[in-house]
Amino acid sequence: MTSSLARKLEELVGRGKVFSSDSELLCYSYDATPLVSHRPEAVVRVTSEQDIAAVLELAAQEGLPVTPRGSGTGLSGGSVPVKGGIVLLTTAMNRIIEIDADDLSVTVEPGVITADLHAAVEELGLFYPPDPGSMKISTIGGNVAENAGGLRGLKYGITGDYLLSLDLFLIDGSKVHYGTKCVKDVAGYNLTKFLAGSEGTIGFFSKIVLKLIPKPRTKKTFLALYDDILDAARTVSALIARRIIPSTLELMDSVTINCVEDHVHIGLPRDVAALLLIETDGHPEVVKEEAAGIEAACTASRVRTLRIAKDAKESEELFTARRNALTSLARVKPTTILEDVTVPRPRIPEMMETIREAAAKFSLRIGTFGHAGDGNLHPTCLTDERDRDEIHRVEQAYDMIFQRAISLGGTISGEHGTGITKSKYLPQLVGPKAIEVMKRIKAAFDPEGRLNPGKIFPEPME
Amino acid sequence: MATSLNADEIAGALATLDIHDYGDVLQCMRCGSCLPHCPTYRTDGIETQSPRGRVAMIKAVIDRRLQASEEFVEHMYHCLDCRNCQTVCPAGVKVGELVLEARHRIEEHTPQPLLKRFMLGSAIRDQKRLSRYLTPLRAYQLTGLQKVVRRSHILKWISSDLEFMEALLPTLPSRPLAETIPDVIPAVGKEKGRIGFFLGCAMNLVFAEVSRDTIAVLTRSGYTVVVPKGQQCCGTPNIAEGERKVYREMAEHNVALFEDRDVDAIVCDCAACGMELKAYRETLAPVHRVAHRAEAFSAKIRDVSEFLVAALGPEITFGTIAEKVCFHDPCHLRHGQKLVTPQRELLRRIPGVVFSDIPDEGQCCGSAGIYNITHRGRAMRILEAKVEAIDKTAADRVVTSNPGCFLQLDYARKHWNREWSLSHISQLLRSSLERGETMQ
Ligand SMILES: Cc1cc2nc3c(=O)[nH]c(=O)nc-3n(C[C@H](O)[C@H](O)[C@H](O)COP(=O)(O)OP(=O)(O)OC[C@H]3O[C@@H](n4cnc5c(N)ncnc54)[C@H](O)[C@@H]3O)c2cc1C
Ligand code: SF4
Ligand code: SF4
Repeated sequence: MTSSLARKLEELVGRGKVFSSDSELLCYSYDATPLVSHRPEAVVRVTSEQDIAAVLELAAQEGLPVTPRGSGTGLSGGSVPVKGGIVLLTTAMNRIIEIDADDLSVTVEPGVITADLHAAVEELGLFYPPDPGSMKISTIGGNVAENAGGLRGLKYGITGDYLLSLDLFLIDGSKVHYGTKCVKDVAGYNLTKFLAGSEGTIGFFSKIVLKLIPKPRTKKTFLALYDDILDAARTVSALIARRIIPSTLELMDSVTINCVEDHVHIGLPRDVAALLLIETDGHPEVVKEEAAGIEAACTASRVRTLRIAKDAKESEELFTARRNALTSLARVKPTTILEDVTVPRPRIPEMMETIREAAAKFSLRIGTFGHAGDGNLHPTCLTDERDRDEIHRVEQAYDMIFQRAISLGGTISGEHGTGITKSKYLPQLVGPKAIEVMKRIKAAFDPEGRLNPGKIFPEPME
Repeated sequence: MATSLNADEIAGALATLDIHDYGDVLQCMRCGSCLPHCPTYRTDGIETQSPRGRVAMIKAVIDRRLQASEEFVEHMYHCLDCRNCQTVCPAGVKVGELVLEARHRIEEHTPQPLLKRFMLGSAIRDQKRLSRYLTPLRAYQLTGLQKVVRRSHILKWISSDLEFMEALLPTLPSRPLAETIPDVIPAVGKEKGRIGFFLGCAMNLVFAEVSRDTIAVLTRSGYTVVVPKGQQCCGTPNIAEGERKVYREMAEHNVALFEDRDVDAIVCDCAACGMELKAYRETLAPVHRVAHRAEAFSAKIRDVSEFLVAALGPEITFGTIAEKVCFHDPCHLRHGQKLVTPQRELLRRIPGVVFSDIPDEGQCCGSAGIYNITHRGRAMRILEAKVEAIDKTAADRVVTSNPGCFLQLDYARKHWNREWSLSHISQLLRSSLERGETMQ
């Protein structure tokens, strides 16, 4: 059964690139975000810039919405086509066009898988630090659109920090190029940086140039267990006070630790209140010095046990707990709802306290883990989408958590984006004037509001 | 596959999956972690060919948001049941098994074509009978006609699929193994114990010599091997096609057959059979009269490598085989039985063997039962990727332990003119042990 839209698209880009059967539309109605889905009218897997232009032009003629999509691992509903229309799939545009080892940059198509990029550049002794948990399947296009972070964010920054230049298709099918390969480039407004985190609402990236750095020579990993979560928080402050910026500084609370132990049995004591995973990397001399500092900071903050990896294998073992955090939480109940509130580092204990209160107040099971180094926390609610009452309580708990994050000077999203799920909190965070300015910017790029509609801005009340 | 569909009944039948053990469909959090590991997603790159998509489709049929149409049924048959997704899924969703369960419920509510009923209901049940069906094929190979046909490409002319089937087929042994061996084969030297041997259909009828090697290694390791006569198919083909009635009868028969033989373990040299026999404890659980006996039976099943890694003690001398070797993990061994180390450890014990892992080692070869015949195009693309990965190891020999994988890799070797040779792990172990004996 081919719709007339699908037929027209096939005429433009050829058969085999257009999907429109019932099951195909169903399979592009969701991403990794719980509880949101909507079917598109057609899906096109573009393979070239000509394809992109042709589809956008047809969509313009027909007045149809267009939603860019990478691998669909987004956690704020970014690639869910809430207004129907066409889904523009980037996964077939997955060539690494050039690795410039002399000038430390890499040029890719948007559908390149993050981990494939890592492998390709590391083979040449180079390094692309952003490492979101989903890196084995997320696309670079999706990473740029969500300005994705990762475990190495604290020391090395996030996707946007590595973005040098972009080729962008506007919704009318015209193409613009922003930025250069130069690390310094102040010509005109810096639209390149602005596009990092634009959530597929401003334009469709067709080519992306990213900055690379040399690969760190060595690293050292620590796992610190605490009887009191405040001691873990004190360690974070103690590290910063010693001017140490670890490459990884991850936190897990007791709910998460116990779920991990249930699932992978790695011998973590059941009664610890929190753990920190700490890693430092770089020149061997520096690593040695920082490692001593880390040990001292942990001891000064009343660490219960400190495990230090002797080699790469032991370091991997210490990462096991953190790598299995979400995994283990996800097995407990059918529905797992994960958020990414972020607060200034010194406010982490207060934020953790509010999360605990919210769980108690609304009788919910919430495990929290996250990037303690940059204040980005993942309170993860273990629930069941069939239980309407509980889902309602989950919403109330997150309301409470988001309010608190805002009042602590933090933000509603550290890395997953606003999308559909957090748009209702945005006005409160940034204020009405900022929303108005953002809307004017959006209109300048997309006057008809057809590119990824229904995202970022709260829908006006009916 | 199905002939005419009753969409409504199927949706109703699927609805109870929620409370079923095969991984609650709701448990899928759509994280996409399974996508890069699924062979069909890797070849096609679209969501309908992914584990996440398959769960979404099943869930939508249950919720009546998607018709249980011909298209849905086709999607259920696109899965290879390689279970790679099950190894990686953080939430513990068993997509491969879920798809099999969906097939079963579709088939139950759909009239089945006669030939399929015959194949699954009668032909495979009795290995003697199955062997008779293969007789014309054997004659065809013996008369030399096979060579003529292969050379003249006459088959290409008639139908490309037939030609493919023909290329896939090895030379069949003149008699099935079961007819040529006694049912108790004594241990060599001092007896350490008695074990059963489950002789799968493909091993018995096609790879008789390989299973002969397996038995030889088992007896040399000090065990008396019992091969009860009258074994029936383990039931894998039935499960794959959604058939359960004959499956249960055969499974019950096999459980009973080994029950009276007083064996400590039951060894199997076909990964697919091994996985299925280990699953009897679940598949027979609803049948009251055998449930606990099936549990005991499954607990005794050991893959050949799993058993030998402990059984071949320090008293055994391995002879040198100076080769670069890699192991192709059958999916039903690695993902189905979660066995990764025993086969590697065994190969590393052979002096002279330089072992290396195949990049992306958990990937399927595309054989998947009869998938390479029913979905040939896709299976070939999966196989091509496998061969490229094998090339990267520069191995002299590829070792595996499943007849389907063996046929598929053997086809690849000839089709793409590869230099490496191919062995079942039992073949390599036997040569090494024999060399070890002459050394002493
Ligand atoms: C298990 C798991 C762990 C995760 N861990 C992290 C983490 O550590 N850090 C983190 O930041 N995120 C994380 N995420 C969230 C998610 O993986 C990221 O947001 C990722 O960047 C999405 O990439 P994608 O290819 O899946 O994009 P999609 O989900 O397909 O799309 C995301 C957004 O990008 C837009 N888009 C995609 N391609 C283009 C393009 N070419 N042009 C314009 N817009 C485009 C889409 O319209 C959409 O708005 C995680 C998700 C999961 C499921
Ligand atoms: S099946 Fe498992 S790995 Fe795949 S999307 Fe669902 S939860 Fe994730
Ligand atoms: S069993 Fe294999 S083919 Fe089927 S969904 Fe899982 S990974 Fe894909």
